[in-house]
Amino acid sequence: MKKVLNYLRSMRFGILLLVLIALCSVAGSLIPQGREISFYAQTYRSFHGVILMLRLNRVFESWYFIALLVLLGLNLTFCSLVRVFSLVGSRNLVSKQAAGLPDTVFLSPEGVRALEDALVNRRCRVERFGAARVYRKNNIGRYGSFLTHLSILLTLIIGALALYTPTVIDQSCLPGEALTMADGTRIGVHDFTIENPTGQLDFTSEIQITLPDGRDSGPRIIRVNHPCAFGSYKVYQQTYGTAGSITVTNLQNGGSDTFTLTEEVFLSLDGANGLWYEALYPGYLRDPSGNVTLITSTSGHYDDPVYQVLTASDGVYTPVLAFPGDELQIGELKYSFNAPVEYPGLRIKYTPPLVNALLIAVFVLMTAALFITFFLPPVVVKVDDEGYTVTGPKPEGMRIELGDVTAEYERKSEE
Amino acid sequence: MKALFFVAFIVYAAAVVLQFTGIAFKKEKLLKLSRILFVAAFAVHSLFTIVRGAKAGRLPLSNQFEFANGFAWGVALMLIILRSRLKGDWLSVTAMPMTLLVMTYAALQPMEIHDLMPALRSGWFGIHIGSAVLSYSAFVLAGCVGLRYLIVSKKNGEGEKQKLEQMDYLSYRLVAFGFLFLTIVILSGAIWAEQAWSSFWTWDPKEVWALITWIIYAVFLHLRLVAKHKGARMAWFLVIAVPVVFFTFAGVNTLIPGMHSYG
Ligand code: HEM
Repeated sequence: MKKVLNYLRSMRFGILLLVLIALCSVAGSLIPQGREISFYAQTYRSFHGVILMLRLNRVFESWYFIALLVLLGLNLTFCSLVRVFSLVGSRNLVSKQAAGLPDTVFLSPEGVRALEDALVNRRCRVERFGAARVYRKNNIGRYGSFLTHLSILLTLIIGALALYTPTVIDQSCLPGEALTMADGTRIGVHDFTIENPTGQLDFTSEIQITLPDGRDSGPRIIRVNHPCAFGSYKVYQQTYGTAGSITVTNLQNGGSDTFTLTEEVFLSLDGANGLWYEALYPGYLRDPSGNVTLITSTSGHYDDPVYQVLTASDGVYTPVLAFPGDELQIGELKYSFNAPVEYPGLRIKYTPPLVNALLIAVFVLMTAALFITFFLPPVVVKVDDEGYTVTGPKPEGMRIELGDVTAEYERKSEE
Repeated sequence: MKALFFVAFIVYAAAVVLQFTGIAFKKEKLLKLSRILFVAAFAVHSLFTIVRGAKAGRLPLSNQFEFANGFAWGVALMLIILRSRLKGDWLSVTAMPMTLLVMTYAALQPMEIHDLMPALRSGWFGIHIGSAVLSYSAFVLAGCVGLRYLIVSKKNGEGEKQKLEQMDYLSYRLVAFGFLFLTIVILSGAIWAEQAWSSFWTWDPKEVWALITWIIYAVFLHLRLVAKHKGARMAWFLVIAVPVVFFTFAGVNTLIPGMHSYG
């Protein structure tokens, strides 16, 4: 039992888990993920059964991948615990133990002096134990590795929270309208533009968020990469669409209304005579004989928009192509075709408070911890009148540095 | 402006040719000249990169060409800095051809300057991609030191022992530096992805390969620091890891479709 536990918290097991996670990731990146079954049947033919059985079509959601991450978390927890016990209270012990070590490099008295000067120049602090002097610096480096592993563990835990607790919905909203969330929060869109004043593509919405308790964000601009966070909501500029706009005027009483149209609709007073709005096309081609071919795909701009509509008058239906500026009269109603309206597709994310802030704090901790681990290695050098030894968890760098100092000096003293 | 790039390319190539001639004929003067040429090429390369950045009005790191150009620049810069700070020149033999290799890859990419697409217009752009340049350069240089280690260790003389130890340590330092910056790449990428797409992590192939690279070098660090593996085995490890770095840098974008397929 103890053997098993020891293995489960060992670095060997940790490395095994990391290698397995890497292998699963290779599979998950080479095999397209989350596609329909027929895709795998076509692409991988006789292998597709194996792919589906091993869940290689959804590696990152598979039970075994999640299990590997959980095991890594446990392994990190145990090895971090062990480490923290060995760190606590060992500061003074390190110096004392170092003082008792035998020299590994022997120097002449001048060499010792040169070495001690070099250590003082490197801002080492000295402690004396009889004839032995112990030079130390970067004590903080002893905690680097612990903090590194702790931050990785926290990233796993808080990262899972940050990935799985938010609710995300994608919704479009016409300028001038508002969306109401389940908790009563209102997200209004005041305005939307596709280009900035210099003509550069830059999708920008002006929005306003009002929380159920009445708190209000005021008008805020969002664009790609610049979402607006307010309360627990974050609103992203995600996509955009283009809608038709038709003004209908009642010729009898002069009243009029403008409709923004994203789907098929029948605009009529009596339900029989009127205009069927079918679709809006971004452009068209006209051949020499005057025939029009509609363009269906667009890279964003509706350069020559065309309305495809159907007029209904006394039971007669007539297909018509109309252009912005055109007008049609059917019975008592006049239909004026306006320039199309662009509207944003928003992504609305609700995250429980603090999760994002905690995750970013852990990221900062990880970066700092790695910096400490690699760039502030603890230095422990024991010197006496005969020579010195470099010790501590990472003696290599200092051994090379001091080796250079003393070798140079000895060469000089030989001369 | 393209001319500057090709001048740099040709001078790097001349430096590499001179270096190998110098080694083949054991002419120290030629080796010295090749190092001077390399620095000259780097100066022209830097000038090109600055002019390109000024012309584009942004950091010149936004598509495959610019990133490869930056990568080669990073390798050359680190090589020159290390050469001036270390007593022995353990890097030039392998790292100068490596710079040329990355430059060749850059030269094969389309060079037009494009407007930055909206998804890339962010303060995180510089941190994320700048760190990637530093990190990949460090890993590639670690591979170069590893290769040199393997060549020198064949000689097996007593005088070589200290040299080998120092090379081994240098390669570890390079991995540590690269690992810190790869961590920054991944973490800043996560924060940026949350700003742009709402999720910190989407298992996009580029993210996944950055993670795989990170794991590979984490394994290296553990084997070296904890299991105390050193020497030829670890040098092989570093050499074999270089193609993975190249795949993460270039292969993923071109071979696997995903959100990072910009250039
Ligand atoms: C998840 C990925 C991991 C990363 C990125 C990571 C990173 C590191 C780093 C950067 C170091 C210091 C290396 C150096 O100073 O050169 C280190 C050391 C170490 N790691 Fe990990 N580690 C990971 C997982 C693990 C796991 C799962 C274990 C298992 C118990 C482990 C055990 C150790 C041990 C024992 C050391 C020796 C140094 C010390 O404790 O002070 N690591 N690790």
